[in-house]
Amino acid sequence: MFSYKGYKGTYLRVDLSTNQIQKEALPESLARDYLGGTGFCAKIIWDEADVKTGPLKPENRLIFATGPVTGAFFTPAGRFVIAAKSPLTGIWGESHSGGHWGPELKYAGYDFIIFQGKSNKPVYLYVEDEHVELREAGHLWGKNTKETIKIIREELGDDTVKVACIGPAGENLVRFASVLVDFYRAAGRAGMGAVMGAKNLKAVAVRGTGSVEVADPETYMEVVDDAFHKITTGEWGEACESSLGMYGTPNLVTAVNAIGRLPTKNHWTGFFEAAEKIGPDILRKNYRVTRESCFTCGIQCKYISRIEKGPYKNTWTGGPEFESIMALGSNCLNDDVELVIYANMLCNLYGMDTISVGKAISFALECHEKGILSRKDADDVDLAWGNADAIITLTHKIAKREGIGNVLAEGVKRAAEIIGKGAERYAVQVKGMEASGQDPRAQQSVGLTYAISCRGADHLRALSSLEELGFVETIEKRFGKDKVKEIQNLLSTTHKALVIKDVEDLYAIVDSLLVCKYGTMWPPVYYFDDFARLIPPLTGMKEYGDPRHLRMVAERICNLRRAFNIREGMAKKDDVLHPRFIEEPMPSGPAKGYVCNLEPMLNEYYDLREWDKETGLIPRKTLEKVGLKDISDQLERMKKLP
Amino acid sequence: MLVRKFLVIEPEKCTGCRICELVCCFHHTKEFNPKRARIAVLRDEEAGINIPMVCQQCEIPLCEEACPTGATYRDEKTGAILIDEEKCIGCRMCIYACPFGGPSIDPFTMMTIKCDLCGGNPQCAKYCPRKAVEYLKADRVGIMRKKVSAEKISKMITQGVVY
Repeated sequence: MFSYKGYKGTYLRVDLSTNQIQKEALPESLARDYLGGTGFCAKIIWDEADVKTGPLKPENRLIFATGPVTGAFFTPAGRFVIAAKSPLTGIWGESHSGGHWGPELKYAGYDFIIFQGKSNKPVYLYVEDEHVELREAGHLWGKNTKETIKIIREELGDDTVKVACIGPAGENLVRFASVLVDFYRAAGRAGMGAVMGAKNLKAVAVRGTGSVEVADPETYMEVVDDAFHKITTGEWGEACESSLGMYGTPNLVTAVNAIGRLPTKNHWTGFFEAAEKIGPDILRKNYRVTRESCFTCGIQCKYISRIEKGPYKNTWTGGPEFESIMALGSNCLNDDVELVIYANMLCNLYGMDTISVGKAISFALECHEKGILSRKDADDVDLAWGNADAIITLTHKIAKREGIGNVLAEGVKRAAEIIGKGAERYAVQVKGMEASGQDPRAQQSVGLTYAISCRGADHLRALSSLEELGFVETIEKRFGKDKVKEIQNLLSTTHKALVIKDVEDLYAIVDSLLVCKYGTMWPPVYYFDDFARLIPPLTGMKEYGDPRHLRMVAERICNLRRAFNIREGMAKKDDVLHPRFIEEPMPSGPAKGYVCNLEPMLNEYYDLREWDKETGLIPRKTLEKVGLKDISDQLERMKKLP
Repeated sequence: MLVRKFLVIEPEKCTGCRICELVCCFHHTKEFNPKRARIAVLRDEEAGINIPMVCQQCEIPLCEEACPTGATYRDEKTGAILIDEEKCIGCRMCIYACPFGGPSIDPFTMMTIKCDLCGGNPQCAKYCPRKAVEYLKADRVGIMRKKVSAEKISKMITQGVVY
């Protein structure tokens, strides 16, 4: 019997090379030291992979993990994480998805699944409580994600089975292939779909009839009830409902364009004049069919879109979310919202990250504009900005790895190396990951977010919405009245390292428990003290009742993911921004004339993290302070200590 | 006379979050397990259709008629049809008799379970964020459904069909 509640106390290890499936006991120390989710994954992948592990080789580990609060009615917490060494970046890779899959895995009796090895033929894993089997998937290979989910449900004779699967992009090892869940939810970034494809693993289907128990049901329900009311009623309830509820994430299109931070024309500028045409109002009015929700979420930001007539007739798909609208819309200088919805659907069916697809396309378009990529190089596709044919054709070609698509499917960093001729100037990425939907010139803190994020230029590990969306009271409560003015100023770098380090730590807990970024990043409802109230009655781990302990565990997780990247060769030289953000003043919009001043924020951040400012490496005493002595010993043997 | 209250479902408001399932099973078992809930949201995720299904506490309860041991009876306070656990033999006849799938089998105890209106404070209605499940007095039930239709008609007239 596992000592702590919330957890199931059992995990699965599936060796695809030998077809062996083992049920193993969850070590208590793992729960105590790393909480769950990303924390579990960081520790396991650190231990079981090493610098020689090829992301697309059998030895890579691929973990599907839940957290202690998964399935236990905290809102919003219907999520799970997929982690592996990333084929896109070669460093730490993790990607999260909502939906109903994560809770189902808990009800089936498991905290996580570790996949290792490679199957000699396509298979999928079926988990039904005690019964776990690898099933033939030859007939599913080549099928898109929607077909795959439907066929699996049909052959299992159960339309409630939750399915996480890859499409043709994952099979073709597109380096930013995603994993689709329950049709419209996706673990998008970092290429987890390609890791599945490389293992010949088409899908993971789960069904469970078990329970998630909590340590102190009465107290737990009081805390959860408070949280539920906090997020669904009053000021926060209104903040959630008027934005995420009414419009979903597309609400951000208008909000971020207003501050000049909507990536446009491959990040050339942060202001899109036609933003309204791809904005929240038109989507809600003309295309939104129905509102959807992840498991036990009170915010309910998801929706389905339909196009009834015209060239994209019969399009029916989840979303599009803000990042997809940005990547496939403004970023490609495309103001046709129907094309955005359609391209978003294609990405979902093929199983590809919409952000990286959009950025790969805009990279090709800009290379063409600059005379680096000719029409002939691009298989006779007219690479004009906003050209619908270019966006659609390149999406197909990337997924199928055809012609120019085969180059773009490598991600913009590798693609630029292949193309040469200075193409890297237009490959907007950090550590190999295409930048997401922000612009550091218009919001200085984003520069630091991109530079230090453990998975590359991405918003979900350390983006602050506090100054972006003007949560003044929250800034005051968390950082003190004296800092409000500077933090609120989007274009100031002062105190931004403090804010970014703080949210990065907060999200490490959020991503371990597993809670959604809505309600934590935007709007910033829950903070360390809320989780300190939640975790003890949930798990019985009393020490988590102290927010200082939570912060220490958060730092442990952040340092371990950093150590993983250091082991892969990352250092200060890699904590950089694309030159576009540093050297090219913003050409238009509210942030016109600004560049990102990364250096002072980065130095302050290293200080706050107690990392070495010269090298970006982690000193022994910093690691030991957060309980990572063994990690520092290993790094020392590799000469990776400062 | 006390006017009885009923659980009223409006599927068009349901987003499929299944909060109703979790608060239901927690109320009855102190554990989180949707398979032990008395309410279930039937979902077509591809189409985006979500329909919560729960016992309607019928006036002519077929479950009661089908019960061979007389285990089902109406609670005087709430009007809910309850199952006397002492008398229930777990024969599932009530499950087969019910046209709505009201009663079901608890996969843990293997006994028959059904909605008991939580003794008059149904948790599903209390927590539903969209009010897709409401607990309303008898006289409000008909009017509420009429209002839903009337709103749709007025929208159709003023703006064309809106979802």
